[in-house]
Order: sequence, then C-alpha cells, then structure tokens
Amino acid sequence: MSRRIRLAVVPARRIFIGRLLALGFVFVVLAVVLAMLGLKLGMVARLVVTSTFGTKFGLEDLALYMTPLLMTGAAVWLGLRAGLWNIGAEGQFLAGATAATAIGLFLPASALVSLPLAALAGLLAGALWSAVPAAGRAWLGVSEIITTLLLNFIASFMVYYLVTGPWADRVTGAQVSSERLHVALPVIHGVVHWGGVLGLVIVVAMGLSLGRSRFGYELALSGSNPTAAHYAGVSVAPRIFVALLFSGALAGLGGMMEVLGTVHRLQGGLAHGYGYLGIVVALLARKSAFALIPAAFLMAVILNTGIVLQTLQVSASSVLAITGLLVFAIAVSDELAAYVKLETQK
Amino acid sequence: MSEQSVTGDRRPVDLPAGTPPLLTLSGIAKYFPGVIANKDVSIDFYPGEIHALLGENGAGKSTLMNIVTGLYQPDEGELILNGYGVSFDSPEAAIAAGIGMVHQHFKLVSRFTVAENLALGWRETRRWLSASEMARRAEAEAARYGLDIKASAPIDSLTAGEQQRVEILRVLSRGASLLILDEPTAVLSPLEVGELYAALRRFRDGGGAVILISHKLDEIMALADRVTVLRHGRVAGTHKVSAIDPATLVTEMIGRPVEQKSAYPRKSPREKDSCVIRLDNVSCRDGAGRVRLHPVSLDIRVGEILGVAGVTGNGQSELADLLAGLQAPQGGRVLVDGKEMGGVSPKAFREAGIGYVPEDRLHKALAPALSVTENTVMRVFREHPIGGRLVYHASEALRFTRSLLERAQVSLSDPATPIRALSGGNQQRLVLARERMISDRALIASYPSRGLDIGAIAVMRETLADIRDEGRAVVLISEDLDELMALSDRIAVLCGGRLMTVLEKDDFDLARIGALMSGREKEHG
Ligand SMILES: Nc1ncnc2c1ncn2[C@@H]1O[C@H](COP(=O)(O)OP(=O)(O)OP(=O)(O)O)[C@@H](O)[C@H]1O
Ligand SMILES: [Mg+2]
Repeated sequence: MSRRIRLAVVPARRIFIGRLLALGFVFVVLAVVLAMLGLKLGMVARLVVTSTFGTKFGLEDLALYMTPLLMTGAAVWLGLRAGLWNIGAEGQFLAGATAATAIGLFLPASALVSLPLAALAGLLAGALWSAVPAAGRAWLGVSEIITTLLLNFIASFMVYYLVTGPWADRVTGAQVSSERLHVALPVIHGVVHWGGVLGLVIVVAMGLSLGRSRFGYELALSGSNPTAAHYAGVSVAPRIFVALLFSGALAGLGGMMEVLGTVHRLQGGLAHGYGYLGIVVALLARKSAFALIPAAFLMAVILNTGIVLQTLQVSASSVLAITGLLVFAIAVSDELAAYVKLETQK
Repeated sequence: MSEQSVTGDRRPVDLPAGTPPLLTLSGIAKYFPGVIANKDVSIDFYPGEIHALLGENGAGKSTLMNIVTGLYQPDEGELILNGYGVSFDSPEAAIAAGIGMVHQHFKLVSRFTVAENLALGWRETRRWLSASEMARRAEAEAARYGLDIKASAPIDSLTAGEQQRVEILRVLSRGASLLILDEPTAVLSPLEVGELYAALRRFRDGGGAVILISHKLDEIMALADRVTVLRHGRVAGTHKVSAIDPATLVTEMIGRPVEQKSAYPRKSPREKDSCVIRLDNVSCRDGAGRVRLHPVSLDIRVGEILGVAGVTGNGQSELADLLAGLQAPQGGRVLVDGKEMGGVSPKAFREAGIGYVPEDRLHKALAPALSVTENTVMRVFREHPIGGRLVYHASEALRFTRSLLERAQVSLSDPATPIRALSGGNQQRLVLARERMISDRALIASYPSRGLDIGAIAVMRETLADIRDEGRAVVLISEDLDELMALSDRIAVLCGGRLMTVLEKDDFDLARIGALMSGREKEHG
C-alpha cells in the first residue's frame, strides 16, 4: 500500500528534478504555440540554439544579459532574507547607472581612479535610492513594497530628463541618450566585461558569508518574527534598514556595470525591466544565494530566446508570457516536489 | 488491538439502547516523515457525550483532530459520520457536515466586532446587512445557546474567555453537532472555566457531541463522560470516566505513575539572602495609555522561588516583561545586581543571566517558520562555540540543538524541520530547556506548565526547585494555586495591575490568596 505525504523539508534534488520537468512543460507549451503560429519548430529550435550558444555573438549576449540579472536578483534575494520585498531594484539600478554616468562624463581622471569611484558612486546611489523606503519600513512600519515601487517611476523620469535635457548627446545626436562615456569596464573577451565576474564573486561571497555570519542569522530572525528577534536581543529596525540599504547598493552596482560595461551611455530604456526580472530570479533561487547563478542564466536564455523570436515576427510580449508561465510552472513544481510516496505495510 | 484496555460498556449508559455513534473513526493512520503521528486509531463518538482525549506531548491528539476537521487527510482508515463514510477535503467541508473546532489560538478578526465576526460564518446573508441587524441576529444566536456576548464590542477589547465564547458561538451558530476543543481552559480564568463547563454541558444535554483535548486530569474527571488515552499515536484505551481513577489514566498514558508533589523541600540550606533583580516603584502603561501596572517595588532574591498569583491579564505579562527587559518601565527603576538597567535591551538582561519563558511563547519566543535549530540557538548565538562577533557556526549550532533536544526529551529526526511542525507541548519543552540553560542568575517563567503533559509538568517543577537549590532565583507566574503553594517561598498577588501583597510561606492560605486575587482584601503595611 502506498500513500502520498507532504515533506516539511524538501531535498534540493527533488526540487531540481521538479524544475527540470517544469521547464520541459514550458518548452512543450511554447512549441505548441509556435506551431500554431505556423512556424517550423525544428527551424526555430535550431535558430534559438545556434544563435544563443552556437555563435560568439550569442554567447556574449548571454553573458551581458546575465550580469545585470545577477545583480538585481541578488538585491531582491537579500531583501527576502529579511522578509522584505524590494520591488525597487529597477529604480536603484537606474540611480546607480546615473551616478556612474556622472563620473564617466565629468571626471577627467584615468580609469584606475574613475572606475573604483564609479563603482562606489553606483553602490552609494543605489543605497541612497532605497534609504527612504528602508527608513520608513524600519522605524515607521511603512510598507516597503509600495515605496520602493513608486521610486522606480521617479528614477525612470529622472533618467529621461537627464538624457533629453542637460546630459543629452550633442556629439552624435543620439536620441534619448547621453554621449558616449569616457571610461569603460575592461573587457575579458570581445564585448564581455569584468562586471559579470565581479557579480559572480559578489553572489558567492554573499552566499558564503550570510550562512556563516551572525548578521545573516539575525537577518533571518528579524525577517521571520520581529517580536522574537527583539526577545533574542536583536535590534530589528537597524537590521531591516541595513538589509534594504545593501539591497539597493547591489542593484545600484548592477546599474553601474550596465552603463560602463555594456551600453556605454545613459539611455532612457537602460533598465530594461532588469529590476522586475530580478524578482523572478530571486524567487527561482529560493533560499540559496548560489542558486542565483543558474537562475540568472536561465533568465538570460529566455531574454535571448525572446530576441530570436522577435526576428521571426513573434510579438515582444512573448518573452513576458514565457517568463510568467515559467514562474507559474516552477511554483507548481516546487509544491509538488514536497509530496512523496510512502510505502506502508498494512 | 488486544492490549487496548476498555473499562465499562463501550457506550455511555444514559443513552437509549441502539443509539448509533455520531462519528466513528476506524483504523485511522497519519504519517509524517520519520514520525507515525496516528496509527490504528478507532474511536466512537456518541451524541450527548463529552469525550476527552488524553495523551503525552506529541501523542497525536492535535493531528487526529486535524484529520476529523478536514485539515489533514488520513493516510489509512476512514471516518464514518452518521453511518456514512465521509472524507473532508477542507475545514469548510467538515463544518458543513456539522463538525466545528475551537483552536487553542483563536482565529477571529481582531479589528471586527463580535457580531461582524459571527456574520462571517453565516451562510445566507443578504447583500446589505446593517450593523444593528447584525448585532440583533448575533444576540439572538447567543441567547439560543445561552452564551453571553457583547455583540458590538471589538474583538481586541475582549478577554481570552470572552473571545473563546465568540469562537464557540461561531461554530455552534453554523449548526455544528460535534464541537472539538483543543486545550480550551489553558488561557481562562477560573470563573471563565466554570462558564465554559456550563456551556459545554448545556450543549451536550441538547444532544450535541463534544471532543475535549486536555492535559488537566481534574478537568477531564469533572467534565467528561468518557476518555480515550492516546499513546505514541495509538489508542491505549477508552474508559467511562465514572469507572476509572486518575492514577490509572496517568499510568496508561505515560507508562508509569506520576506523582505531583505538594512540596519541594530544599536539598541544602539557603546560603545568602542577596537580591538579583530589584524593582523600585516601576509602573507600566500600554500603547493606549492605560495603566497596566501600578507602581510596584519588589525584590527577587537568590535561592528562592517567588510565586506570582493572580487572574490572567492582571499585570502579570507586563511584570514579566519588565523583569526580563523586554519592556522599559515608564516610571521607576529596574536594577539587576544593583546596576540600573534604564533603557537597555533584552540583550543586557540575557547577558546578566536572566532567562525568560514568556506567556505567549509561540509569538514572543519562537520564530515558527524557522527551523528547530535556528530557534534553539536564539539565546546563545552570540557566544562561543556557536557564534562570535561576526560569525555563526552552523555545525556547532546543530550539535548544540541535538544536545538540547535530548535534555528536553523531544525526539526529532531532523532539526532542520520548521519548529511549527512540532507538537504544541514539545515547542514548550524546548523553550523551557533553552531558557533554563541560560538562566545563570534568574529564570522568569510565565505559566510554564501550559501545554505540557503531566509527566513534563513534574519534570518542570523539579527543574525549578533545582534552580532554586543552585542558588539562583525563580519567578513563577501561574494561575494554579496548588503549584504556587507547592513551589514558592513567597507569593506576590496581583489584581488589576496592583501588587496586593507579598505573602511569606507561613502565611500561605488558599482562601486568602483567592480573596486577594479578586481584590477583596487590600493588605496594609
Ligand atoms: N506538519 C507536521 N510535519 C511533521 N511532523 C508533524 C507535523 N504535525 C505534527 N507532527 C508530528 O506528529 C506528532 C504528533 O503531534 P501532535 O501535534 O498531534 O501531538 P499532540 O498530541 O497534539 O501533542 P501536544 O500535547 O504536545 O499538543 C509529533 O511528533 C509532531 O512532531
Ligand atoms: Mg496538540
């Protein structure tokens, strides 16, 4: 006789297998939709695979997509550790990019000086952009979900104002864009810059340190039950404040990498929804910081696939639809992975 | 099945012959990973009967009732209601079939009024319902079941007993014929307990069935018609209460007799008479500015147990929070070892060696969603070997947790399990063991016996006496006067947030303490 029971702690292997199945399911749905659009599946699949993994250009694109996703994913993930929803990674990303641009445009110094300064500026600007929501949440109990979200719009308008007004490109006349920055992150190969590597290092360091640090434990406790954290002698408000500040700083650094490594100009649509996709990346990664890496990779593949599909006249919203379907399928598979068959003797 | 002991008839006497059971559990089993929570459980519940469930912490009582109310599905066996096999896929389905449960942690909307909370459960309501009509209907329902309520009062202004009455009324007014209560008297004052008993008896006499989970034997003896003992998830026996004595029940439940001592004499004479915590005219208000504790001065001395008596909600939790540093006093001073602790955090009290078992442990002293390990190290994570200024050693935390689990006599295969999966009593045991560990100077224990089974209560009382003998201080807040008189060296009586008096051991007198608790006698001098 056998029965199904729900596990309280689900082994990572079960989750992993469940997610592979979910991914397969999404592929099948996607295939059906493409077939209905009259596209030849074999041709589309070959095109996606070759243009993503088969060409130097595709691989570079993948790396360039992954970098900002890793950073915004890490930002949202850190907030979730403390029970906070940072929906504002998009705005913090733009703030960081703007600050780095200011350094790039106006600081006449060598890259050796200006790059660290730009990184610092990105970190600070991101942190600053989340400081008000962080303080409101920590000491006044104002929901961070709303405040961080609203600041996204302000950041976006600020960038549009700058790149059409005071910082508009007067050299080449590019629309809604600043002029090309004088500094850039050094490249590893082709157009791939060191930002991605830095992102990987940061994520790994974060994963290693939170699990082994008192701060990580205190953060988890504050996020899970603030009353109990107070009882345990942890001052909750400063922890929440600092967690959201760090979260904003990570997103801000991501913005700096994007503008100095990939785009080389401040542009209107620079953030590209990375802040919101970071939420998906963080949710996919669940409790492990290291899982942010495959999660960001997967998201980058989806973005790339979307571009390929666009060249085949499939609407740009298809990417969003795929993302949504994937999140849904994974949520279901995570839940189902908790159920095991138990053999019982009667 | 053969080892199951059955005293008396399987059916209550005063029912006409041939009355079928209302609900039959037949061979119910429920498994959790590594745990058999229920196995081969077969019980008949009859209409017009109060049926008690008794068992050690973790015996599977709550799990069984969660199966009956549709929160869990049984892995084996079946439920037979009025002769028909049923399966409930949700608590909604169970209540539609007339099975309602009053949980230990109430599930009311605290901002709503009593009438609004009741209205949430009404099936047929018109689209628009005026407040006065809602109140009228709520009062009509209350009168029907003889439960006294204040229909237009908001829930958060009610005492625990009043809230419970609303819960019961909500279940009954949805037409329940079987009422299940999980440790219902744990949070009630003696007066409220009496009212609950009366309401339950009335419901039974009207033909309703009641299932009562309780660790209190005298309660079961006074109220129940039959009692079923669960042991390690199986039925150890079903008895008519009139044909069994408490000692037999305890032996059946734990496997050995347990004697609740009436005195805990010192093993060694008391050495010095110094004071650990001194309250100097401290007072306390709540968020709304109401005075919860009038200025009180009190010395907590080493090597003694100070009992605090009083009806629940008369300033005890504020007093305890002050003693453990969770709250800063609005007036007066708190001194630990002669040092003033003005405006410091709970951390400083913890470091001074003061352990605290708060009344509401689930919300104040545990993070239910975190693992058992993370909860166990909650008070020691700063110290070697688990932590330091910056680090946290997960492997050391795990080792510490395993040793504490053993000490608390909680068996658990995987400490990464979230602590809310532990049985109610096992959570309490862990908090107690954890706080005992850290109380180098004093232990503040609020209602430490709540939720514990009889064996665990005996262990807990021995522990308090040991702490006293080791020359540390204990503050024991309890509503059980027998417990207080057995353990305490002095008893402070609280009423309406006022310290009525502090009685010395020679002056202990049940009637006198009772009178002081109800504020009838104010001592002077
Ligand atoms: N959701 C769950 N996941 C895993 N184990 C569980 C879960 N719920 C209960 N258990 C386990 O099942 C056993 C029975 O628990 P249950 O809560 O029914 O005990 P109980 O008789 O109500 O005890 P108490 O008197 O302490 O409340 C315990 O060992 C408990 O740890
Ligand atoms: Mg229970």
